[in-house]
This record gives sequence, structure tokens and C-alpha cells, in this order.
Amino acid sequence: MFNKILIANRGEIAVRIIRACNELGIETVAVYSDADRPSLHVALANEAYHIGPSAPGESYLAKEKIIEVAKRSKAEAIHPGFGFLAENEGFADMCEKEGIVFIGPSPESIRLMGDKVTARKIAQDAKVPLVKGSEGAVSDVEANVIAKKIGYPVMIKASAGGGGKGMRLVRNEEDFEGSLRMARSEARSSFGDDSVYLEKYIENPRHIEIQIIGDSHGKILHLFERECSVQRRHQKVIEEAPSSAINSKLRRKMGEVAVRIAKAVSYRGAGTVEFIMDQEGNFYFLEMNTRIQVEHPVTEMITGIDIVRWMIRIAYGEKLTFKQSDIKMNGHAVECRVYAEDPEMNFIPSPGKLVYVRAPSGPGIRDDSSILSGSEITHFYDPMISKLIVWSETRESAIKKMISALREYIVLGVKTNIGFLLRVMNNEEFQKGDIDTGFIDRHPDLLTPPSIDIKPALVAAALAMRNASNEAEIAKEKPVSNWKLLSRKLAVSRNNLL
Amino acid sequence: MTYTFRFEDQIYIINLGEEDIQTNVEINGKKIPVEFKRIDENLYSIISEGKSLSVGIFKNAKRVDVFFEGNLYELESISERQKIAGKASDSGIQEIKSPMPSRVVKILKNVGDGVKLGEGVIVVEAMKMESELKSTLDGKVTEIKVEEGDAVESGTVLLSLSSN
Repeated sequence: MFNKILIANRGEIAVRIIRACNELGIETVAVYSDADRPSLHVALANEAYHIGPSAPGESYLAKEKIIEVAKRSKAEAIHPGFGFLAENEGFADMCEKEGIVFIGPSPESIRLMGDKVTARKIAQDAKVPLVKGSEGAVSDVEANVIAKKIGYPVMIKASAGGGGKGMRLVRNEEDFEGSLRMARSEARSSFGDDSVYLEKYIENPRHIEIQIIGDSHGKILHLFERECSVQRRHQKVIEEAPSSAINSKLRRKMGEVAVRIAKAVSYRGAGTVEFIMDQEGNFYFLEMNTRIQVEHPVTEMITGIDIVRWMIRIAYGEKLTFKQSDIKMNGHAVECRVYAEDPEMNFIPSPGKLVYVRAPSGPGIRDDSSILSGSEITHFYDPMISKLIVWSETRESAIKKMISALREYIVLGVKTNIGFLLRVMNNEEFQKGDIDTGFIDRHPDLLTPPSIDIKPALVAAALAMRNASNEAEIAKEKPVSNWKLLSRKLAVSRNNLL
Repeated sequence: MTYTFRFEDQIYIINLGEEDIQTNVEINGKKIPVEFKRIDENLYSIISEGKSLSVGIFKNAKRVDVFFEGNLYELESISERQKIAGKASDSGIQEIKSPMPSRVVKILKNVGDGVKLGEGVIVVEAMKMESELKSTLDGKVTEIKVEEGDAVESGTVLLSLSSN
């Protein structure tokens, strides 16, 4: 096994990786920016090196600096975590050239899956279902024919597009011509290119993803699905495994499709194939993430497989010791991402110092975090406080456990989404499993706390006020320091001696 | 001792007994028995009317943050003099403030425009994310204090609204 690994990341995922290394008897090297000197990953690693200012571009994204530290510390491998350099083929390439093992897939797999058009092409060749649409850009005449063929609603998208510009949703044929004209003109003014393509619009889909894992000896397996439909700002906030919308037949089918696409790029390590699924259970390839995912713990909880530990073992060249039929699903896991953010203000981040944190605990409760009382959420990085994960026998009891755990959480100093998460857990539709990516938009009532009994808050506030004024009194009455008195006495007695 | 707090434009007057562990608390004239224990600097255990709660408290100048059961309550401790000034907000003037250091991306309303409760009035960008700040009342825009592109600090007043 490796003797030493550098972790090119920060926060809870760096802590997660350090713990996996400890269990495998591997020494760990942390890197940190200015802002992260007091962070937990620095304290837990065996070695730690400063790599630059707080802005990620000058530290966690500075490839050369990280490679330099790896060489100086004699680390044999680098785990990139997620975000930052995790899906940067250039970095994976640099590691390879320097003789350092990049814990993840080959630079080639990262490149193929990173380009959305190429990824779509690979998926198509591997007979993976794709959302119906035009093959690339279309002329006005073609557009009309294709729209009719794939059926409304249809989405017109700018080929050069992004960020919603040059995008038009068309619900019926009458509106098509006008929308096409507007999409083209918007695309021309935004990107200087008016070519557009068409895609079937899936109404409020579910977001379902399959965890896969492959070794460097050609074996690729799947670890079932995760349901990640509850999203805000197009970002996941609650994930679970398994999905209540998937039966064992569909699970097997989606798993096979995911493995097929991974095989098409000779995938190695942990990866995730993302799909969207319509109300009828038809699923379509969205993209493949060539890294460990934030929400990997729910899969670990139901399979008992430590994904991060396996990533390291695979990178070292070990073979997977189990086969597909050995992997069993047990119980249900739910993850809530606890963020320093304000749900009432459109989930705007709420950075600041966490004056007090009390995390929940108990059987089946896992809090993946790097935050302690006194930690700071800075505007340089993602404002996540922790990933709270629970496991129980059934979905129903897992939700109950999550409610209990969330109620134990106390965070002071910043705004959090804990109250919001509690309201989602208590929502009847969520409990029934009626969720899709439009869930939060459909329930704006979940964003604000209900007007509840604020008596305890008032009592506590009054107690805190009284306490503060008592302490101020004590401070006022306190005489000068005893040391000062003693030295004065000595000075006087010395004078007497003279 | 009497303490006065403002929470969501409501004034609460709390009368606290002198006792250390068990005390009578009066909220707006209504008495409730309370037993409490300070666990550490920021954590209190409160037992009242058969209900036990762990309550997190953070006092910062005039603001007292109280956290329990997932929700944060930001109370403002006010003096007698402020109680009168507090009336201004009851008359229905609201200021939309920047929640954090950010940049003004788009102002969605002009002075004099009508606004509805919950309607977006201004878009700011912080930490690479755009956020729409919403009206806290039904009324109209009375003043706009910033321009698109401005960099603003946390707490900067962006615009003022008055209710119908």
C-alpha cells in the first residue's frame, strides 16, 4: 500500500479522506490556504503545508504548488476530493508525468466525460437512453419537423449557450416559430452565433444517479442508485438511497446502463452516472461525474462499502474483492446538507464565525463535517457546515431519525438551513416520496419558519441579558490584579530595607 | 429586572425574577414558571410548563440570537428610548439591506413603482451566486440608494419601501 498520500482539498471531504488513510495505515499530507490555517484537516493530517492565499485560484487550484508539495513531502499519490482539481484532466496528466498517482480515473476518461457533446456521443454509441432531440444544430425547416417528431413540450437551446441565454421552452406548435426566432436572436446577441438545437423537455424530472466503481483490471460494478431530486439553485440539498421511485427491475437496468457507459471509457475508480427520470419511469443520461460525489455516504450506509477507502486501494492497483451479486442493499439512508445560508433570502450564503456548534449523535447518525465551535465560514469557499447522514431500516424510520437529529443540531453565529430541512422532512409529499426537481419551487411555504411559540426564545434572551450584565458588574468590582499588588508590596518592603 | 425585545416588529416586555435556578418570568404581563440551567457560555437548558428545551444563545451588542429546534430567532434588545423610535417601522417603512458584501446586479423597480409582498426588487451577487431580494410588504418603492454595478457592504441600505 502507499506510504503517504497528499490530499488536495479542504473541508469535510479532506477530513473524510484523511480518516480513510488512517484506517489503511497511510501517512497524510494536508495543504492549506491562508484562511484554512485553523481548519480541522490541517490539524488531523500528519503533515501540513501552506500553499498560498485564500482565493482558490492561488491555492487549491494552483497545480504546480500542489505537485511541488507532493514531491517535497515524498507523497506517492494525490487524492483530489471533489471540486477544485478533481475533474481537471491537466492536473491528472501532470501527476502522471511526475510519477505521482492521481487517485481517480485516467486523464483520458476525465476528458471524454468532461466534454458534454462527446459524452452524449459515447452514451449514444453505448445504447444509453438520451433525451430525444436534434443531432446538433438545425435549420428553421428542420426544426419544425423535428419538434413535431419528438413532441411538445420542446426546449430550444443555443448551441454556443449557457446560463439560460438563448433558451426557450415551447409548449405547443403555434408558439414554435416565434420562440425559434427569439432564441436565435438572443443567441446571436449573446454568443455571436445563432445556431440552436432542440431537446424534448422533461417536466419536473427526478434526478437519479448510479454510483459505479471500477478497478484497473477491467472490473466495473454499480452500487445502486441515489435519489437527489430535492434541489435548490440547481444544487442538491437532500439525497437518499435507495430511491422510492425505483423497483428492483429498474434498478438492475439502470445499473447495467451505468456500467456500460463506464466501460466505454475504461473507467477506473469511483464515478457517478447521472440520469433524469420522468413520471413514467423513463430515464435519460445526463452526465457522468468522474470523481467522488458529495453525497457518497448514503451509498456507503446502505451497502457497507467504504468508497473512499476503495478509491485508494484501486489507485494502488488492487482488485475489487467482490462481484456484483455480492453487493447487497440494506435499509435506507438520508443525507441533509447543512449550509450556512438563508432560505428566506433565496438561499444566499451566510458567512461568518460559528460561535457555537453542537452536532447531533446517536446510533445510525453520521455527521461528516470539519466545523467546530469557533470555525469560520468564509466567502472563499462553499458555505457547507456539514453533511448529516442517517441510516435506518426503512425510509419512514430514516426520516424520523433525521428529524430527531436535526432537532439536536445547534448552530450560532450564522444563518442556517436547518429549520428548512426540518420542514422538508415533515412535509407530507416528501414523506410519501412525491419528489422531483421542482419540489422546492412548489413549496415556497417551506422557506419561512411557521409562526410558532417564541416564549422560550424570549426567556432565553432575557436570561442571557441578565447574565451579561451580571458579568459586567463582576468585572467592574474586580480589584487590580494580585500580581500587581504583590509587586507593589515587594517594592515597598525593598524600600524599607534600604 | 425588565428586558424589552423586538422580534418581527412586535415588542415583548419580559420581567425576570431575581432567583438563580427557578424563577417566575412574565411575558407581556403573563406569568410563566421557568426552571433553567446555564450549561455553558452559549447553551441553556430551559424547563417550562413541562417542556424541556436546549437553547443556544449568542449575544452580540444589542442583538440576541436564540437557536432551538432548527430555527434561529434574532431578537433585538431595546431601551425605553428606542421603543418610541420603533414606532417608525410600525408605520410601514421597510429598508431592503444587503445581507452580505455583494455587488448590485440589477434593480428591478423604479421609485414610485408598486410592489407586492414577496416580489423581487433587486438582484445582488455574492460568492458567484445571484440572489433576488424580495419586498417585505405590499406598497411602493420610495427611494433607491444604489446603482447597478455598485459594490456594497453587509447591511448597506439598498432601497426603501413604504406600505400602502
